[in-house]
Amino acid sequence: MGTIRVRFILVALVVSFFAVGMSAFLNYFKYKSTISGIVKSRVLLVGRGIESSVQASIQVGMQFNEIGTLPEVLKRELLSDPLLRGIDVFDAQGVIIYSSDRPRVGQKVPDAWLQTAERSKATEWSTEAAEDYVAGISVKNAFDLTVGFLALRYAREEVDRAAAKAGGEILAAALTAFAGVAVVAPLALIIVIRRFERDLRSLEAAAGHLEDRTPAQPAAASAFDGAIATLRVSLDDANKSLDQLRAKLDAAG
Amino acid sequence: MEKNYLWRVYWRLAGVIMLCVVLALAVVSYFSHRVFEAELVPETQQKAATIAASVRALVIKATGYGVPFASLYGVDQTLREVIDENPEFSYAALTDLDGKVLFARGQEPAEARAYFATPKVLAVSLDPTASWANEHVGKNYFVSQPIRTDKPLGTLHIVIDGKFVENVLLEVMLDVVVVLVVSLFFTLELLNFMAGARLASGLGEFQHQVERMRAGDFTATARIRANDEIGRLLRRIDAAVDHLNVRYEFLVGELEEKLRKATGERREALKPAAQAMEAVKQRLRFGSARKDSDGDEMNLNRIRAPLFAFILAEELTRSYLPNYVNQLLVVIPGLSPQVVIGLPIMLFMLIVALGQPYLGGWSERIGRRRAMLIGAFIATVGFGGSAAAVNLYDLLLWRSLCAIGYAMVFVAAQGYVLDRTGHHNRAQGFALFIGAIMVATVCGPSIGGILADNIGYRLSFAVSAVVAVASVLAIARLPAQEVRSPTSNRPSRGPRMREITALLFNGRFMTLTGLAAMPAKVILTGVCFYLVPLYIVSIGNTSAMAGRMLMVYAVMMVLIVPLSASLSDASLRRDRYVSVGLIISGISGLLLLISDSFLVLFGVVFLLGLGQALSIAAQSALVAEHCQEEIRIYGHDAVYGVYRLLERLGNALGPLLASLLVVFWGYKGAFVAISALVLFCGLAFTVASRGFDPVDDAETAKS
Repeated sequence: MGTIRVRFILVALVVSFFAVGMSAFLNYFKYKSTISGIVKSRVLLVGRGIESSVQASIQVGMQFNEIGTLPEVLKRELLSDPLLRGIDVFDAQGVIIYSSDRPRVGQKVPDAWLQTAERSKATEWSTEAAEDYVAGISVKNAFDLTVGFLALRYAREEVDRAAAKAGGEILAAALTAFAGVAVVAPLALIIVIRRFERDLRSLEAAAGHLEDRTPAQPAAASAFDGAIATLRVSLDDANKSLDQLRAKLDAAG
Repeated sequence: MEKNYLWRVYWRLAGVIMLCVVLALAVVSYFSHRVFEAELVPETQQKAATIAASVRALVIKATGYGVPFASLYGVDQTLREVIDENPEFSYAALTDLDGKVLFARGQEPAEARAYFATPKVLAVSLDPTASWANEHVGKNYFVSQPIRTDKPLGTLHIVIDGKFVENVLLEVMLDVVVVLVVSLFFTLELLNFMAGARLASGLGEFQHQVERMRAGDFTATARIRANDEIGRLLRRIDAAVDHLNVRYEFLVGELEEKLRKATGERREALKPAAQAMEAVKQRLRFGSARKDSDGDEMNLNRIRAPLFAFILAEELTRSYLPNYVNQLLVVIPGLSPQVVIGLPIMLFMLIVALGQPYLGGWSERIGRRRAMLIGAFIATVGFGGSAAAVNLYDLLLWRSLCAIGYAMVFVAAQGYVLDRTGHHNRAQGFALFIGAIMVATVCGPSIGGILADNIGYRLSFAVSAVVAVASVLAIARLPAQEVRSPTSNRPSRGPRMREITALLFNGRFMTLTGLAAMPAKVILTGVCFYLVPLYIVSIGNTSAMAGRMLMVYAVMMVLIVPLSASLSDASLRRDRYVSVGLIISGISGLLLLISDSFLVLFGVVFLLGLGQALSIAAQSALVAEHCQEEIRIYGHDAVYGVYRLLERLGNALGPLLASLLVVFWGYKGAFVAISALVLFCGLAFTVASRGFDPVDDAETAKS
C-alpha cells in the first residue's frame, strides 16, 4: 500500500476518533446532567415542602432558630424518599441549627456549601460532598432577605451507578461505530483516491522512462500528462544538444 | 497540472471522511437514544410519582377540611405549576372513580380519556394497597397515583411527554453539529499536516523542476528525497538530471583535453565542437543548483501544525474565560466586579500589544524555533497555572504568562514564515499562517465551551495546557537550522517613541488607525471576548452556546475574508470596504434594541463577523495606500509597527470599555453603546476618507 494512502487513512481514523469520541463524551455528560437534574428535582421537591413549613413558621412571627417542630418535620421527610441521606438547616454563618441527624446540630457545614449557596442567583443551589450530592434551598423572609439555608444530602450511588451503566453502553456504541468507520473509511478512501493514485503511478512510471530514447508513450489521461510531456521534451532536447556535441567531437577525431 | 488539483483531491477525501463520520455519529446517536430511553424514563416516572404524592397530600389535606373532592379549589393552579416547572410532563389530570376528568392542565393526549376509563386504571384507584402505576400508552408514559383518605376518591395522572428523550438528545445534537463542523476543519488541517504538506511541497517541487528544465536549467539538486511516491518520482528526475550532468561534464572534459593537446589544423577541426559547446552553455545550464529559499517550501508548511495547536490552546478558553474569572472573583476596592472580570482579558491583550513589536528582534536573535519553544513552554505553564488558580490575583499572573507565550510564538512563527519566503511566495506563506489561526478560531471556542460545560472550567484549562504541550512537541520537530531569505536580511525592530508620537499626531494615519483599526478591535474583543460569553450565561444559557456564537463569527471570517480581500484589491476602493464593514459592525449591536431574543443575538454576531470580514483585509492594505508620505519619511516598518501597536491597544481597550459600559447600562446597553461608537467611527471614517484617492498596487509598491 502506498505511503500516501496510509496517511490519508490515518487522517480518516484520527478525525473519526475525534468526532465519535466527542459525540460519546457529549452524550455521556448530557445523560449524566439529565439524570442528575431529574434526581435533584425529586429531592428538591421534598425540600420545597420543608421550606413551606419553615416559611409558615416565620410568617407567624417565629424566629428562624426557634422553630421547635422542625426537627420532627426533617426526620419525617427524610423517610419520604429512600434516596435521602440527611437534611440540614444552617444559618448564614454555616452553623447547622436543625438536622435530621441530631449530632450534626452545632457543627459547621463545609465552606463550599455556604459559598455555593451565597453565589447562587436562584434560591435553589447544589454542590457535591465527599460521598453525597447536596441539593439546597435558600430560605428567605418576607423582606426577601436570606435567613438560612436548607440542604438535602442524597446518595450519589444512584446517579453514579446510572451514569456508569449508561457510560458503558455509550462507550460500547462509540467503539462499535469507530470500528465500523475503521473498516468502511479505508475502503471508501481507496475508491476515492484511485484516480489520484493512478495519476501518481503513471507519473512515476513515466518518470522511470524519462531517459528512454524511444518515442513518447501515449498519454495516460492523468493530470500530470502535460508536465511529463514537457519533462520528456526538455530532457530530449538537452540530450540531442549533447548528442550533436558528441557527433562534432567525434567528427573532429 | 492544475493549480487546484490537490485541493480537489482534499475536498473529495474530506467529503468521504465526513460521510463516514456522519454515519458513525448516527450510530452513536441511535444507541444513545436507546440508552437514554431505557434509563431516563424510569427515573422520570419516579419523579412524577414523587410530585404526584406531593399533590395528593394537598388534595387529601383539602378534603380533610370537608371540601368535596369534585369541588376542590386551586387544583388547576397546582397542576399548572406541575406542568410549567417540569418540561418533561405534558399533561396532568385529576379523575374521579369512574375515570372522568375533574381537573386537568396541559396538552391532553388523544388516548388519555379512554385510558383513564380502562378497568385496569380504575382498579388501581380502588386498590387500597396500590401506591402508583405506570403505563406506556401510545407515545406517552402515564403515571397514575390513587388518592384515598378512609375511602377511595380518585386518581391523579401525570403524563410524561414521549418526546422528552428526543428533546434531551436534540440539545446534544447542536453540539454534535458543532463537532461535525470542527471535524471538517480538523480533517482539512490533518490532511495538510499528515499528508498534504509533503505532498503539496513534493508536487510543487516537481512542477518547479518541470519549469526549470523547460527553461534549460539542468543544474543538479543534492536533496534527500522522502521514501514515498513523490519522493521516488523526484529521485528519478534527479537521476535523469544527474546522468545529463555527467554526460555534459564528460563532454566538457573531453573537449578541453582535446583542445589542450591540439595544435594547428587539428585545433581548427575542433572549432565546430567548441562552438556547439558554447551554444549548449548559452542555452542550457548544468552543474550544481544554488540552495535558495525556494527549496524550503516543505519546512514552511511545517509551521502550520504547531501554530494551529498553539493558537487552538488559547482559543479553547475564549468562550468561558470571563465566566471562569467570575467564579474566582475577589473584591478589589474601587473596581466594579464587571471591570474586574474584564481585567485578565485586558491584561492579556495589553501584554501581547506591547510585547509583539519588540519580540520580533528577540526571536531573530535567539532563533525562531527556540523562541517558539520558549513561548509555548511559558504558555503551557500559564494554562496549567490557570487551571489551578486559587483566586483572581494568581489567575492574572498565569494569564500574563499565557500572553507572553502567545506574543512570543506569534511573532516567532511570523518570522519563521518571513525567513522562508521571498517576494514571489510571501503571500502564500502568510495565507498558510493566517489559515492556521483562522481554523483554530473556528474550532477552539466551540469545543472549549462544550468542554467547560461538561468537565468544568479548570479541567478545560488543563486541556488547553495539554494542547499547548502538543504544540511544544510539534515545534521541537521544526528544523533547528535558521534560514534567512534575501528579503528578510534586514533586522526587525520595534517602533521608536519619536515615530509613535509623530504618527499619533498625523491626521491621515490616525483617520485610518483611530477611526477604523482601533474601533474594529474594540468591538471584536469587547463584544466577542467579553460581552457574548458573559451575556449568554447571564440569560441562563451555557458556555457551549457562547462557543457556538463565537464559531459563527469565526466561520464568517473564514468564508468572507478571502472574498472581500480579492474584491477590495480588484476594485481599488478599499476605503469603501472598510467603511461598509465598520458600519455593518456598528449596526450589529443595535439589533438588541429591537429584541434581546436569542435569534437577535445570533444576528449580532453574524453581522459583526460580516462587518469585520469585509473591513479587516482592506484596512492594513489601506495603510500603504493612504500613508505613502509617512512611509517615505518614517519607513514601512515604523508606520506598520505603530499601526499594529495601536490596533492591538484597541484589543486591550475593548474589554475595559465593555465592562465599564456594563456597570452603567447593563449588558444590552453595553452592546448597543459599543456598536453605536463603531457606527459613529465608521461614518466619520467614510466622511474623512472621501478626499483620499485610490492608489494602484503598482504605485503603492513603487513607493
